[in-house]
Amino acid sequence: MEALGINLPGLITQIVSFLILFGLLWMVLYRPITRMLDQRSAKIKESLETAEKVREESAKSKADMQKQIDAARTEGQALIAQAREVADRFRDEELAKARTEIQAARVRAEADIKRERDAAIEDLRREFAGMAVSAAEKIVERSLDKNTHKDLIDKVLKESSTVRRS
Amino acid sequence: MGKLLRKPKVAIVLVVFLVVFIIGLAGGALGDKFGGGFLGSPLPHLQLAAEKVTAEPQFPGFTVTNTMIATWVAIAVLGILTFFATRRMTEVPRGLQNLFEAVIEYFIHLAETIAGHERARTFLPLVLTIFLFIVTANWLGVLPGFGTIGRVETADQIIHHAEEKAEKDGEAANLATIELHVFDGDGGVAVQSFGSVGETITAEEYEHDGIEEGKRAGILVPFLRSANTDVNTTLAIALIAMVMVHWWGLRTLGAFNHLGKYFSFKRGAIWFMVGILEAIGEVARIISFTFRLFGNIFAGEVLLAAMAFLLPLIGIVPFLGLELFVGLIQAFIFSMLTLVFAASATASHGAEGH
Repeated sequence: MEALGINLPGLITQIVSFLILFGLLWMVLYRPITRMLDQRSAKIKESLETAEKVREESAKSKADMQKQIDAARTEGQALIAQAREVADRFRDEELAKARTEIQAARVRAEADIKRERDAAIEDLRREFAGMAVSAAEKIVERSLDKNTHKDLIDKVLKESSTVRRS
Repeated sequence: MGKLLRKPKVAIVLVVFLVVFIIGLAGGALGDKFGGGFLGSPLPHLQLAAEKVTAEPQFPGFTVTNTMIATWVAIAVLGILTFFATRRMTEVPRGLQNLFEAVIEYFIHLAETIAGHERARTFLPLVLTIFLFIVTANWLGVLPGFGTIGRVETADQIIHHAEEKAEKDGEAANLATIELHVFDGDGGVAVQSFGSVGETITAEEYEHDGIEEGKRAGILVPFLRSANTDVNTTLAIALIAMVMVHWWGLRTLGAFNHLGKYFSFKRGAIWFMVGILEAIGEVARIISFTFRLFGNIFAGEVLLAAMAFLLPLIGIVPFLGLELFVGLIQAFIFSMLTLVFAASATASHGAEGH
């Protein structure tokens, strides 16, 4: 032991010195540094959590916005569809109205035409009857009494009109 | 290679290196044989025990040794560094704070992987103190001034001691084997001087011829010597480490379980023997702790002294780097082993099976 230099006073001095260093470093180094490290890691953790929260919130608001956009789009489409429907109906109605008016005008025109024709036919017949009588008078050169004459002509006309109409 | 040599800077460095190397070779112990030796110092007096700084004890039975002073210097250096590192701490670390934070964080992670999160914080202060103290002491130990500045133990004192010892052993003192160095001047402080390779005389010559005016013969007792080249220092750290390891073991496992590892009577003779072997192993751990560190650092000192003796100026340079590396590695090994022992001492037997 002596040759190695181990001796009790020296050993005790070194043990005491080491323990003093231990206490010193504990106070000056470990406590402040570990506190600082813990504080920092807590802060980092906190800010990471905050970042996560912010991210979630932004995702949520983005989804909300999307939902609103979708809603607005469907609403717009419904409006367009409705407008188109209204327009279609309006067009159909106008078309139908126009068709009816045209129909009515045609009916009226036909009735007018028919009346005109009937009147013309009547005039023609009257003129034709007089002409026929005078012609017949000239041909037969005998005078019939006026009433017998008219009956005869009516009969002839009726026969002729039935023939023509059939 | 040829291209590199043509660069002026490289060529200048190479020439300077060669010149220094040749001067070193001629001026050192090797050159001494051929009429050189103008730079070398004598191989210092190497002894295992730490030298006493004063001839007389300061207190009865207690003398300050040079390794104690080195220990206190290391403590002071660490104290000052850590004080400035933690004086004004900032959230974003800078400088010394950053350095110590990096070291502490590294050890926290290491301790957590070895001992788990809970116990890491318990073990950390001791493990870190061991690491920081050993590495600081080792690195301080290679600084200039360690081992070269001291007091001279005079030839008369040495001869007196030798004769006393010889008388006690019942033999005649052999003064021819005691080698003394020659120093200039006669103050309280002496420095190992350049060009004194050949300047050694034996105690016998001193007794016979004396010494010329203005010089003195004796042995340099350095004021500073690397703290871990003293077995007392390494033994002190080893004892503290193992005492703390067993204290943690006792506290986490309970006295019965912890001591049961070493003294088991219930499970038969084989387990009893295993327990005894474990107990011997614990003692062996203290011894291996002590002498691994002591041996490495002391060998480093011897190596540096030998290189300075053989090839002054330049021979020491690669070995200084080596010693810095060894000093760091030994500090790391000591603290890591403490951590591992502590982790295994606090692990219950059930957990150990995994």
